[in-house]
Amino acid sequence: MSGTRSYKAQKLVERLQVKVNRQIMLSLEACVHCGLCTDQCHYVLSNPGDVTYAPAYKADRIRKLFKAHFDWTGKTLPWWVGAKSVYTDEELEDLKDTVFGKCTNCRRCSLNCPMGVDMAAFNRMARGLLVHVGVMPEGVAVVAKDQWEIGNQMGVLKEDYLETLAWMEEELQSEYKDPSIRIPIDKTDADVVYSINPREAKYDPRTIAEAAAIFHFAGENWTMPSDGWDMTNFGLFNGDDELGGAVGGRVYDAVERLRGKKLVISECGHGFRSTRCEAPNWGKRDVPFPMESSVLTMLGYIKQGRIKVDRSRNSEPVTYHDSCNIARSCGMTEEPRELLNLVCSDFREMHPNRAANFCCTGGGGAMSMTEYTPRRLKSAQVKAGQLTATGAKIVVTSCHNCVDGLFDLIKHYKLDMQVKLLVNLVAGALVVPERPARRMRPLEGYKILVIDDEPDIRVYLGKIFKDQGCLVTEAPDANQGMRAIKADRPDLVTLDLILPYMTGEKLYWELRKDERTADLPVVIVSGYAAVDSPRIDFFGFLAEKSLPQPNGFLEKPVDPEKLIETVRAVLLEKAKA
Amino acid sequence: MELDTTSPLLNFAEDKLQIFALSFMAVVYILKIRWILKFPAGKDRQAPGGSPGTNARKGAIHSLFNIALPWEMASTRQHPFFYAQFVIFHIGVAASILMSLLIPYVPEWIAGRTAVVALQTIFAAAFLVGAVRMARRLTDPYIRGISTPDDYFSLALLVVWLAFSFLAAPNDRQAGEWPLLAYFFLTAFFLVYVPFSKISHYLFYPFARWYLGRTLGHRGVYPVKSGARA
Repeated sequence: MSGTRSYKAQKLVERLQVKVNRQIMLSLEACVHCGLCTDQCHYVLSNPGDVTYAPAYKADRIRKLFKAHFDWTGKTLPWWVGAKSVYTDEELEDLKDTVFGKCTNCRRCSLNCPMGVDMAAFNRMARGLLVHVGVMPEGVAVVAKDQWEIGNQMGVLKEDYLETLAWMEEELQSEYKDPSIRIPIDKTDADVVYSINPREAKYDPRTIAEAAAIFHFAGENWTMPSDGWDMTNFGLFNGDDELGGAVGGRVYDAVERLRGKKLVISECGHGFRSTRCEAPNWGKRDVPFPMESSVLTMLGYIKQGRIKVDRSRNSEPVTYHDSCNIARSCGMTEEPRELLNLVCSDFREMHPNRAANFCCTGGGGAMSMTEYTPRRLKSAQVKAGQLTATGAKIVVTSCHNCVDGLFDLIKHYKLDMQVKLLVNLVAGALVVPERPARRMRPLEGYKILVIDDEPDIRVYLGKIFKDQGCLVTEAPDANQGMRAIKADRPDLVTLDLILPYMTGEKLYWELRKDERTADLPVVIVSGYAAVDSPRIDFFGFLAEKSLPQPNGFLEKPVDPEKLIETVRAVLLEKAKA
Repeated sequence: MELDTTSPLLNFAEDKLQIFALSFMAVVYILKIRWILKFPAGKDRQAPGGSPGTNARKGAIHSLFNIALPWEMASTRQHPFFYAQFVIFHIGVAASILMSLLIPYVPEWIAGRTAVVALQTIFAAAFLVGAVRMARRLTDPYIRGISTPDDYFSLALLVVWLAFSFLAAPNDRQAGEWPLLAYFFLTAFFLVYVPFSKISHYLFYPFARWYLGRTLGHRGVYPVKSGARA
């Protein structure tokens, strides 16, 4: 068929003209149809005889299109080189079936191509072309929409996320009988900003708690952002660079907003690849801070002696599944093994492994495309065989997608195995010190603003807070106090009532009026007494203006213990709220 | 002094025709390289990652020479016979191209019996490989499924060309010019046809491998860790 094109086909062809870069063009031109990639694909190995799964065959569905519009011979003698454009919506559906349903973009064929043809790269491009015209599996559309609109791919609302963190914090405090264990949110100037996969918040919050325990016992100055916390990125799967750049940008913005020194990315193959390696390119953005996988962070803690582990606590035979995105696209293959050998006593290598490993079959967004589930499970035969051959009882991976993919295939093929993440094993092996070398103090990491016109009082209060590990800022009057609140966003303010220019009660009124500061905890610390200062009737003022009571009220001279106790109670109350 | 009895047609075929064909191929290749460079190259903005022992440059160089390291990829490691075919076939093609320059300009270099036998052995082996490859392309459903008319024609052209290379190698004009005429006309056709066919893959090879290696080196994937070959 030639001539007229459907609207979608026309738009796809137009989009193709701008999406082909030099690397993709070379990959599309260089294939010699030698077929060496054929038996490197888990789909082929699990579906012998079905030509349509062969990597070169799948690649040719895209190559035909390229040749028809770019290649000299393809434009002149299309039948000679197999060039063919798309004309109908049915052809687009066929292409969808190939690029979404018969390939997980695992890149194993790319690394096995003698010509250096990166099939995964242009398969992703083809997905992007189809997504551009609205042709994609329903699940892909839903997840991408959630990530655009809600900010994370599982549609976890901010309040649910924060509630989950507060819940995990309580669990940890209860489990370790240590109220100083915290999951700090939006703490500025932290050494580590920790980003997670929304699957953790929604289905597997224990991984957050385990990571928090590891950070705590390592004495890390860390935080989690209230926004921009999802490091997963569906842009990698649906080929939409705009989505990929925007999602990565949210995470980078969060780190910059909090002035974090390093971004640590929890265990997620595609999330790590997207955030660490791809999103700066999609978003054309230079990222000024370092980013690392939590695997490296945990390994570093053990090697530096910041946490102690006992490998005998993980004594069952363990094998490791290399996530395609981590091993084949980010080169992280040795660190997980080093870590595993430190936290478990019977590690067995799977073959092949590292960059030669086979896909778990859940990659490339396959878990969201339920229409292809039977194919996915059939193609998992290869992985099931690999797992069985190890004789391990636990397969560890460093990717949430792989966890789901492996869990499914283990169930389908009735293997006697569990799937775990590295963080599960590290937390399981963690030796909790009776007296941690650098125990978190009760107010560790909180940011406190002291507003008082008397320098001696500011120094005195500041010292008490600093001794508790707080980050302290000071302001001598209400105006400077207001500016500091806006600039530094403290966790709590201690406020004197008698201040120059504007009284403390006026400032309190201003704070409560503004919705951005209405919930900011304020502890009044004042020499106020109605007898001594008849000008001030603070409580009468509150009643007159219908203002809520302050979170705490202490009269000078202040007892240090009472001050700490009050401030701590206020902050705990706020965390629970 | 022997009288040069070479016919004007063979003189033309082995000299002017070859120069024209080579020049044509060079011009088309220049245009093709220009075409390649017109596409914007993707960049790696992110900090280097993966193994600290490598970088983009090392990755690119490793990638370029990957083809000479059959143990590196499972695809070549698991198919040593196929890899050996690849080596023989490409040596045969390279030798034939070289011979098309030696016969007209320095025939004495390959005039000895040893040289002729060596060349004929290479061409015979490459011809056999080509024939095996053609049989594979026609019978293996996976390969048949991805083959285009150009794939069949290019392979057939090379197989026939290698056969005539075998016949032309003795450069015995007294015995008859037809093997040389066929060889040189085929060579000229081959040179003109190559840029428009899949045979021009060698033009793309260094670019494709360089960019893939650069990216994978920057990410610490290339060179592939030895464990991955387990």
